[in-house]
Amino acid sequence: MKLWHKLLLGLAIILIAIQFIPSDLPPITTENPADLMGSGLVDGEVATLLKTACYDCHSNTPDYPWYSYVAPSSWLVAKDTREGREEVNFSNWEKIEMMDQLAILDDIISEVEEEHMPLPIYLTLHSEAKLDASQRQLIMDWAEAAMDIVVEDEEE
Amino acid sequence: MKKSSLLLSAAFAVGLLFFQAIQKPTIETHDELSMDGPKLPANVKAVVESKCYGCHNAEAKNEKSKKKLDWDEFEASKKSKQLATMSKINEVLTEDAMPPKKFLENKPEGKLTEEEKAILLEWSAGKKKKGE
Ligand code: HEC
Ligand code: HEC
Repeated sequence: MKLWHKLLLGLAIILIAIQFIPSDLPPITTENPADLMGSGLVDGEVATLLKTACYDCHSNTPDYPWYSYVAPSSWLVAKDTREGREEVNFSNWEKIEMMDQLAILDDIISEVEEEHMPLPIYLTLHSEAKLDASQRQLIMDWAEAAMDIVVEDEEE
Repeated sequence: MKKSSLLLSAAFAVGLLFFQAIQKPTIETHDELSMDGPKLPANVKAVVESKCYGCHNAEAKNEKSKKKLDWDEFEASKKSKQLATMSKINEVLTEDAMPPKKFLENKPEGKLTEEEKAILLEWSAGKKKKGE
């Protein structure tokens, strides 16, 4: 066997072996009665934008692409969805304390404005999630208005 | 006589209508002020000034800490913004993340005392804890 044959074989074995390491991809749950989408706080274009640009990492209803089931890319997807959900899970929206909802909405404004979200690495493979300036503005204006609505609802 | 009194009352009615029309509608008392958040309680202000203000003010050199929290802006901001900020403060205090650990290495006296931390925690919990 030539050296490069051995290297190739070695690589193949490694690639197969790592498929047995569990990636801990967060589970998909289809029933989410507390989801932001059903809360009445968001609709129309902003709802669509959030679903396409944020829901893969910030909800219980991600749309996992094929590479999220194949190591090593699955590890990255698992990490981002796990950490994303820990920070913000729109599927639990109505169970979140009022003040924490406000903090999330406030963070959405700055994260989207500074183009920290959606995560840049995600955009390399998800061009549909890219937000242009007017879409970012739409989300920011929505979040700003939603903050006041959340406070008013609480006071009633 | 009859005619003139009729005219007179007609003029009166027109005048009344005119008055009604030029009178400005009463201004709704649902004004901006009610959306303004409350001012900081004195004990909270004292802790903030000695332990947080140095990094979190309008003139702060560190853009990051200024952007995340600006006490100079806090009292003037609307209620929803204040509550959002309080929630974030509550979180960093619970995690003992502020003042930053790195900063305390060189300046241990900057650390919050238990009492100061309790003051900030209670205040920043806002409505959240009241019902409990
Ligand atoms: C590829 C996965 C991914 C996508 C897509 C994504 N996020 Fe995130 N998001 C994360 C991760 C991971 C974190 C936690 C780590 C961090 O803050 O970088 C996070 C954190 C956040 C936070 C909390 C930041 C803070 O300061 O606490 C907000 C708010 C947020 N995301 C909003 C959004 C919004 C709005 C979108 C859609 C426009 C979005 N994210 C899309 C992965 C993602
Ligand atoms: C030595 C400077 C310094 C002091 C003192 C300090 N902070 Fe900070 N603070 C920072 C910096 C820097 C950041 C930004 C950290 C980051 O985003 O990584 C920050 C961020 C924050 C945030 C935003 C956290 C988030 O991610 O949403 C809060 C809230 C906060 N500080 C509260 C406080 C409070 C309350 C005090 C006083 C008890 C305090 N800070 C004292 C430097 C300081």
